[in-house]
This record gives sequence, C-alpha cells and structure tokens, in this order.
Amino acid sequence: MLEIDRLSKRYGDVVALDGCSFRVARGQLLGFLGPNGSGKTTTMRSVFSLVRPDSGEVRWNNERISASTRLGFGYMPEQRGLYPRMKVASQLAYFGQLHGMAKDQAVAATTEWLERLGLRDRADSRLEELSHGNQQRIQLAAALLHNPELLVLDEPFSGLDPIGVQDMIEILVERAEAGAAVVFSSHQLDLVEDLCEDVVIIASGKVVLAGPVRALRSRSHHRYLEIEVAAPVSGLDREFADLEVVTITDGRITLRLDDDTPLEPLIRRASALGKVQEFSFTPPNLSEVFREVVGQ
Amino acid sequence: MNAWKAIRLVAARDFWERVASRAFQLSTGLTVLLVVGFILVPTFIDTDSAEDWSIGVVGEVPSGLAGTVDAAAGDAARVDAISYPSRVDAEAGLESGEVDIIVDAGGKIVVDNSTDQQLTTLVATVLASLDISQQAADLGVDASALTELFAGGFEVESISGEADNRDGDRAFAFFATIVLFMSIITYGSWILIGVIEEKTNRVVEVVLGTVRPHQLLTGKVLGIGILGVAQVLLIGVVAIIVLSLQDALEIPEAAGKVLLWAFVWYVLGFAFYAVAYAAAGSLVSRQEEAQNAAFPLTLMLMAAYFVASFSIAGENPVLRIASLLPMFAPMTMPLRIAGGDALVWEIALSLALMVVTTYGLVRLAGRVYAGGLLQSGSRLKWREAFRASES
Repeated sequence: MLEIDRLSKRYGDVVALDGCSFRVARGQLLGFLGPNGSGKTTTMRSVFSLVRPDSGEVRWNNERISASTRLGFGYMPEQRGLYPRMKVASQLAYFGQLHGMAKDQAVAATTEWLERLGLRDRADSRLEELSHGNQQRIQLAAALLHNPELLVLDEPFSGLDPIGVQDMIEILVERAEAGAAVVFSSHQLDLVEDLCEDVVIIASGKVVLAGPVRALRSRSHHRYLEIEVAAPVSGLDREFADLEVVTITDGRITLRLDDDTPLEPLIRRASALGKVQEFSFTPPNLSEVFREVVGQ
Repeated sequence: MNAWKAIRLVAARDFWERVASRAFQLSTGLTVLLVVGFILVPTFIDTDSAEDWSIGVVGEVPSGLAGTVDAAAGDAARVDAISYPSRVDAEAGLESGEVDIIVDAGGKIVVDNSTDQQLTTLVATVLASLDISQQAADLGVDASALTELFAGGFEVESISGEADNRDGDRAFAFFATIVLFMSIITYGSWILIGVIEEKTNRVVEVVLGTVRPHQLLTGKVLGIGILGVAQVLLIGVVAIIVLSLQDALEIPEAAGKVLLWAFVWYVLGFAFYAVAYAAAGSLVSRQEEAQNAAFPLTLMLMAAYFVASFSIAGENPVLRIASLLPMFAPMTMPLRIAGGDALVWEIALSLALMVVTTYGLVRLAGRVYAGGLLQSGSRLKWREAFRASES
C-alpha cells in the first residue's frame, strides 16, 4: 500500500502541498483529482524522490521508500519524455534495465509489449518517426515493462484519441486487477467517474474530499430530478416555475433540488400535466461534486 | 540495482547511441582524413621544394663554378650557369629573373633584391676557394696537400646530454595541453548539449525516477568521456602509423615519462571540466542558452591555455601558481614537469587538490543537477539550483 502522509512543500512564498494525505491499496485504481496548481504533480514527484517535501513522508508497505523499492514502481510524468532519436526497442529495453531488469529479461518484455501494442514492426524505428499516439503508447510501455507493483500516472489520458483512451483504460484496469496499486491524475472527470471506484480531490495542496465516487456524490446536498412527461415546454415551465430549472424541452424537464426535497408532491404535479414516463432523482455527477468542493 | 550498475547503464547508452549516430561516424571519418591529409600533403610538396638557382656568367670565370656551388648547396638547390656576352645582357637577365646572380670575370658578384642570401654566400665562398686552389696550383702546391692544410681545426661539441632535451619535452607537453584543450572544448560541449537535450525532451524525469542525479551525471560524463578519449586515441594512432610509414616520426627523448604525466593530467583535467560542463547544462532549458551557461568555464579554460602558451619557453611565477590550482593545473603542470621545474611537493599538492576538488565537484554538481534538471523555463543561477535541490 502506498501512503502519502501529511506532505508539505513550499516553493518560496508558494505553498505547493499543505499536509496532503491519502492511501492507495494494491489492486485499487485511484483517481487523483484537483484543479491546476493544486499539487498533484508535486505529490506524484514526491513518490519518486524528485521532490523532497519539507515535512511528511511517503511510505510503501509501511516503510520509507528506498531507492531499490522505487525501482519496482512505474512512473509516467505529465510532460512525456523519451529519447527522440533512440530506436524504440532499445529505448524500452534501456528503461527496463534502469528499473533493475536483466538485459535478456528487458528485451523479452520489450518484444511482448510491442506485440501487445501492435508496434512490433516499429521496433527499429526511431521514436521521433512514430505518430504522437504511438509515442504515447511507448511511453506507457516504458512505465510498465518491469511489471511495477505501484503505477503512478500524471494525466495519462491527455492528448489521446478515443482509441488511445480505450487502450489506456484497458491497461490500467488490467494492472489493478493483477494486483498493482494504480493512481492517476486527470481532468476528464466523466472518464474518472466511469473508471474508478475511489477518488481523492485536492485543492491548494490539501485533500478536500476522498472516498468512493458513489458516496462522494450522495454526500452532496443537491439532487437532480429528471421527469419525462407528455407535456409541452409551456406547460412544464408554468407548473415548475417555483423550482430551479436546469433544462427544459417538450416532454422533458430537469430540476435541481435540495437532497431533502419530498418527492411525492412533485410526482403528483407531474402526473397532473400528463402521463409520466420517467422520474429519476439522482445525486450530481463527479464533475459537479468537484466544482462544489474546490469552489469553482 | 547498485550505483555502479546504474552508472554503467547510463554510460553505455550515451556511448553507443553516439557511436551509432551518422553525425559521429562522419565527423570521426572526416577528422581522420584531415589528419592524414595534413601529414601527407606537405611531404608531396616538399619532394619538389628544392630551389633552382641560375648563375649568370660574364667572361672567363673559373671552370667548375656551377658544379662546385651545386655540390655545396647539397639537397637545398640545383644550380646551373648561363653565359652572357656582356655585363648589360647579364643584368637584363637578372632583372627578368632568368638568373639569380651574376659572376663577372672582371671581379664582381652582382646581385639584386631577389637574390637569396645563401646563394650569394655560397658563390662568394666557392669563388674564393677556387681562387686559392688556382693560386696554390700556380705556386706548385699539390691539391691533396691543400686539403690537409685546411683539415684539423675545430669540431663542434654539444654539452647538453641527449636525455636532457628540455625544450623538446616542453614542446611535447604543450602539444598534450593543446590536445586536452581541444578535447574539453569538443567533448565538453557534447556533454553540455547531451544534458540540455535530456532536459528539453523531459526524459530526465523518467530517468531520475530510477537513478540518482549524481549517478546520471557520472554515467554521462564517463560515457561521453570514454568516447572522446577513444576518438582522440584513434586519431593519434592513425597519425603515428602514417608518420612512421614515411619515417617522419621523431619522438622526443624521455617522452615516456612526459607522456605518462600528460595522460594523467589529461584524464584529471577532462574529468574536472566534463563534470563542470554537465552541471552548467543542468542550469538551462534551451540549447540557445548553452553557451551562456558554459561561459565561465570556457573563460577559465582559455585562461589556463594562455598561461600555458605564454610559458612554453620556461618557468615563470604565473605558471607556478597556476599549476597548483585545479582549474589550471591540467594545462600547466605538465609543462613544468616536462621542463624539470616542478618540485615533488608541488606535483603532489597539485594532484591532491585536483582529485579532491573533482570529487567535491561531482557531489556539488550532482546537487545542482538535481535542482536544475526538473526546472524548466528561465535559466537558473548556480546558487538557486543548489538551494532547490537542498530543500
């Protein structure tokens, strides 16, 4: 288990981290969310000792992370980087060896990953000759080659096309199922909502919300009521003028309500307009929860 | 993974990636060709470099004049004679360059501005000796007796032992200094560019997730350094082979000791500057800023080179002080050792300072490296980078 324990870090007058704490268990796929500049990258870099926090600690299996433990981790930084003129296969094998693999092991794993990514025929191409999407795939392979027990990815979905996103999702889910602890940051909250059971949200270097996505959503004091009823816009508009209307079309209206609003009177009011076909009362999505807690 | 394995991996990558690059292969090939060319071309020209001298003759001059001058000039010139009916015709010939000197039987040697001083001396001497021979013969003195008469005299003897060839050794040491200077300028900038490249394409963040900054730095310096030394050796070996094929190789006496010291200082000097260049590279994010970052180093290097080049004639106080300071010692101490001027304690002190400073620089540069590498954007000051890694 990865434990981020009360990390604090200042750069001059700028507070990057202010007592940030959370955990990622093996087999868990954790979404790490926060607005720009909230400290996500600084936190991730701390895991790899690229940033030395002013106070606090990062632990793996209850121990401070040593250099040799760290070799068993995989890291995909936000700003991607590989050697542009190095050949794809020798580049991957190099990163495998940097992570402590023996040379033949690294070469075998490289072949395996290139096969899986459908890039086997590009083994002897220079990285810069690959398309942007394929370079991203190689970058991911460089983080995965040594079969890491902890995988840290900074904005892994940014810049990917829909197929690339799908491939990435598959691989992350597969790694977590294979028992790795996986944590990634993202601004694509709909995607995170679909992919992760758990999220951590930080703002100004502090964790402001953490837990299962479902629980975080239902903790919100707002609910959305969606009603499908055979009635024109004018009828709907008149009937629900006293409530906060989000969207309205012929036969369909969405209302934003407090979570303790009684529903029975609303069903009656809708039924009075016509035949009710749908009546759903749902908590806000992750995106809105995020905006609520980071105050934007 | 232990530190040495990490360093070796980094070094091997930097070495082989460069060896495999077309640019490196081309530049090595071209340099070898240039060196071979520089050695061979002058000898082709040299084979035909003997002067052609013509002596204009007016009237009855002693027979065998041209032949004797030719013999006396040896390999330096081929000499022939052209006869003119009058002095005026001969002078016209001298002006037009048809002949280089005129011998007038009336007792004059006529020259102009273009006449070689050596030719004038030769002609005058030959004429005088021919005259003496003639007069001796007239007096009935036999030619062999005359030779005996002139023999004896003095022999030239050098009091410098052959093993005491200080000037030759100094010249050799200075040559080594030039090689070191060129190596640092060339491979130092490779290191500088290599470091900045890793920073600009951001690969350094992935690499530093696995190896420590000072390991990355040491590996890089070793990889490029070994490649540099290999390239210098290749060029040197080719030069020696070509030179010895044409029997033109002159190795200064006692070169063994001077060579050994030159090598020791080459390695130390290269290590010192290479590490410093790597640290300088970690301070900037763009290739355009590379030369700015390296400017203080280049300045130091130039200063050391100038002290060395002004001291090739021998010991002086500036040289003596410079040879003790780590940034100058690699380019100045070999000169003093070759000249026999360095005291044992001075060599020992200078070596000790050099080794300690280089080690300190690796640690310091490792920190500057760690602080500098993850910063992008504007150029860092040395002190800022140092602090960034500290906190």
